[in-house]
Amino acid sequence: MAEYRTHMKIIGDILYTTRDDLQDEDGATVTYLIRKANISHSRISRILKTLVSQGLLEQVDSQGSNRYKISQSGREFLQAYHTFTKFADNFGLNI
Amino acid sequence: MEFLLENILNLVGFLVGLIIGTMSLVGFRNTGSPTLFRLTIAFFSISVGFFVIWSGYMLEDFVIQSGSIERWIQTLGIGIQTVGYFFIAFSHSIKSFFPKSRYFRSVGVFPLFLVSSVQLEHIFRSVSFILLAYGAIETMLSYFENKNKGAISVAVGLALLAFGEFLGWYSFVFPESILDHVSTIIKIGGLILLFIPVSKVPLTKIKFDDNFDDLK
Repeated sequence: MAEYRTHMKIIGDILYTTRDDLQDEDGATVTYLIRKANISHSRISRILKTLVSQGLLEQVDSQGSNRYKISQSGREFLQAYHTFTKFADNFGLNI
Repeated sequence: MEFLLENILNLVGFLVGLIIGTMSLVGFRNTGSPTLFRLTIAFFSISVGFFVIWSGYMLEDFVIQSGSIERWIQTLGIGIQTVGYFFIAFSHSIKSFFPKSRYFRSVGVFPLFLVSSVQLEHIFRSVSFILLAYGAIETMLSYFENKNKGAISVAVGLALLAFGEFLGWYSFVFPESILDHVSTIIKIGGLILLFIPVSKVPLTKIKFDDNFDDLK
């Protein structure tokens, strides 16, 4: 059975992907994020728009396509996310 | 003896609730997680509930001096704590219902057997017992999924609080017996167990650099 993911977990997965999986400076394409985060195009588009507006991701125009890079705020959010995921785990909960 | 134990219990409950509630609030403000918001309400309610009962004992001890705490203060405090236990159980029920679970439904029939008294305090204690037992079971089940050792401590802590509530409720049948003291001591143990794993969560701000491997 597929693991249920909260909205917060999906955001965490997207941010982890942009932070850890990409070695170059170009950022991740939407297609790459869809594959890694395993969600639909319409849903990830909404989430990416929110994350960019909140300053957690930076949108860059590279080689004619939109790419996404994690910002400093995004890195700080990921640290808080990591800490409080452990905190919630102690109560048997997902954040 | 009763006053001493009750004061220790209520102060420990107040502090543990306050600390965990504050940590949850910090988490909610940093991540916006609804789960952490529910935990914030839960533990602040538990903290306020213990504080209300502690205030009742202090009031009785230094002002009223009637020999026993005002019943309505005790009922109010227990009622506020029950709200806190509800939010802990509620967080688990959301997690379990989406996807769905059979556990809540099986535990949900218990109130029909346990809520038999007309007194509010009895009802609150019964409901608290059910909510705490449910929270303990769900937390233990999450340990079997994630193998997070902190979850064992929280599960046993919630279970001890549930058992303490049960004995506290049962002491109405045998008032002035040792059951009341045992109930209080068990609840103090439960609160301490709740706090142990939470105290190990690092909340200090770490400077960012290029090495993030420790966060994986």
